[in-house]
Amino acid sequence: MRHSMTAVLEKSETYTSNFDTEPYEVGWASEARWFIRIQKIAGEDTVLRAYPQISPDGLFWCDEGSEPIVMPKEGLYSLALREFGQWLRLRCELAGKSSSVMVLIYLAMKE
Amino acid sequence: MSLTKDDLRIALIQANPHLSRYNPLPRILFYDDFDQGINGWVELTGNHNGDLTRIREITRDLRPPQLSNATFFDVGTHGSVNGVYSMKLATRPKAGHMSQAIKRMTFVKPGLVQLETYFTFKSEQSFNWSDAEKAAWNGNQDPSETHFGEFTFSNDNCEDHNGARYHCALRYVNADEHGKLIHKWMYKTSLQTSTKMQMAGMVKPPEDYHVQSPDDWKEIPGGYQPLCYNEIPTKINWHYLRWIWDTRTRRNVELQVNNNVMDLRDIPVPVYDHAYSGLSHLLNFCIDVRTRRNIRNFLFLDSILVSVDW
Repeated sequence: MRHSMTAVLEKSETYTSNFDTEPYEVGWASEARWFIRIQKIAGEDTVLRAYPQISPDGLFWCDEGSEPIVMPKEGLYSLALREFGQWLRLRCELAGKSSSVMVLIYLAMKE
Repeated sequence: MSLTKDDLRIALIQANPHLSRYNPLPRILFYDDFDQGINGWVELTGNHNGDLTRIREITRDLRPPQLSNATFFDVGTHGSVNGVYSMKLATRPKAGHMSQAIKRMTFVKPGLVQLETYFTFKSEQSFNWSDAEKAAWNGNQDPSETHFGEFTFSNDNCEDHNGARYHCALRYVNADEHGKLIHKWMYKTSLQTSTKMQMAGMVKPPEDYHVQSPDDWKEIPGGYQPLCYNEIPTKINWHYLRWIWDTRTRRNVELQVNNNVMDLRDIPVPVYDHAYSGLSHLLNFCIDVRTRRNIRNFLFLDSILVSVDW
């Protein structure tokens, strides 16, 4: 049976500016899927964009190259990744005026 | 010469490459090799009513454990004692932040419980040493060692319908918030603040998960023990740990870390003066790491073996 595992990386946290998720090790997995649930979104023209990032060492990061997940309203969003090396995180950009978002972020991994 | 049942059991354990480095009690309750997955260890989270913003601050962000191959920027993959993967607990880079993993069991009957593991600990590589740290580096003692705060092995025990509950907690303090090396094993002297206690206003919200006041810790007799940090943050050396407690006496029994065997029988363990429901025969195993600086701290567990005398 294949191993699988889900990590909850942000638990109903509210952000009012750009943020990165904490580094998470995924070397054992061959596929991963980000799930982002926008629980609340406020402000003017608020949009959260999440760019998947990869790293060889958990210290230095680059964009993975996929199109960002664009989240202008409440709801559940997702992005699948493969061939990502050892570490994953999301670089999250919050656009708009007086913007804030409350997010739940999951990383679902499979062997 | 005739073999006893115990002779045969010990011979089988000693002939098994995975088990021969352990010293289990008669019944192995579980053996968690993290090359075989996460094995039931999960982030501890505080109680809530479905609204995660209601979780108490101290238990709100204890971070999910990771299956790590211990890869570092200078040498690549270190791996574990056997195989590739260990379970890694990682704090945020924020002074006072703690990461804790828990495994939840129940017990069949009261008795001895023994947790054994091979562990190692590191702070994250820092590229921003202070001037004092740059001046102090002598090629042997590395500032990184002073960036690592502490780790704690603890449990959560609740008896049957009487609801009597207590936690044992043993903490290794490596360095304080100023970076002073302490190198001591400590035991806690006050109750862990529960959600119930905090909601009832019985106590103030704690600064330290395990105790009501951050000063509620005492040195274990014989608890001074410098461990093998090994100079820089990318060399990991595994340490043996064996901790035994007795759910008949509600006491710790012994802690062994490499050559240091500490008798814990006379150390008091606080018991709640109020009952807890829904926790009949609870037996939880908890491991955490806490940073005292704005630098991530990591604790790696190669494998964990828990055995009992039931």
